[in-house]
Amino acid sequence: MQLRFEHFAVTSMMGSETSPPRDYGTLKFERFWEERAFGIALALSKKGHYEWEDFRQELIAAIAQWEATHCKDDPSWDYYQRWLQALEQLVFESNLIDVDEWEKRTIELMKQE
Amino acid sequence: MSERFSYRDDREAYNAARVKALESLLIEKGIISSETVDKVLGFFETDFGPFNGAKLVAKAWADPEFKARLLSDTPAAIAQMDFPLGMAGAEGEYMKVVENTPKVHNLIVCTLCSCYPWPMLGLPPYWYKDPTFRSRAVKEPRKVLQEFGLELDESKEVRVWDSSAQIRWFVLPERPIGTEDMSEAELAALVTPEAMMGVAQVKVPA
Repeated sequence: MQLRFEHFAVTSMMGSETSPPRDYGTLKFERFWEERAFGIALALSKKGHYEWEDFRQELIAAIAQWEATHCKDDPSWDYYQRWLQALEQLVFESNLIDVDEWEKRTIELMKQE
Repeated sequence: MSERFSYRDDREAYNAARVKALESLLIEKGIISSETVDKVLGFFETDFGPFNGAKLVAKAWADPEFKARLLSDTPAAIAQMDFPLGMAGAEGEYMKVVENTPKVHNLIVCTLCSCYPWPMLGLPPYWYKDPTFRSRAVKEPRKVLQEFGLELDESKEVRVWDSSAQIRWFVLPERPIGTEDMSEAELAALVTPEAMMGVAQVKVPA
């Protein structure tokens, strides 16, 4: 029986520091953008723009970078901030979106809010 | 790049806009469609989660024949359910259920690693992998259960089931008193992953 990609991706992260926050057996998202960023990262890998393992390694690197400059119990720890950092990195490496284009659209959206 | 705003509120607005911008650009470029992300997220809402195990428990409570099958041949009982593709097989084919009764309470653990019946229970809590929990659950299960807020009568036997690559256990909790008139769907809503791991009992909301 072949596993669905989503199943494989999320269980491959269990039991390590890359495992996402969860509650009552399901993924726990505190803000709307966290869930979208989670879904985008999986969707791009599912469509073959990068290997899931590459995303995982990027996330490990983003977490390590944070830990190098913060205490482990620093209350400002934010899992999905690291997730977004890893996603940005892979989006650039895969040449999916131009840096300036993304930044420009972000600013436009912020002005609309 | 996302650290450029020093105030948290600004960073929050920036993150939200950044993710929204990314999704909209990916859609415009035809890299993903407007439904792609929803489809990925939908998998965790409807296919993969503890709601599968909860349905199984509720059916076993409501149907004695099904319960007997679930206990004697768990994969056969699971195959009988209308679960989403992939949830009845794979790691699921090695699953086995143990029943909580007034005399016996069961607890599942994985002392070697973190084997877990994902298709039925969803994603494991962080402490399931914790080495202290894993060793203490075997050595002093009563004390560990007490710390989870579960006080068991002295006369009740506690059995600990160690999951492995061969068998992944989970618990059929006791049906709470006062649920006789409930439908299977109502019963399923009461069942938590913790109850199916044996670190909690099923409670009826007051």
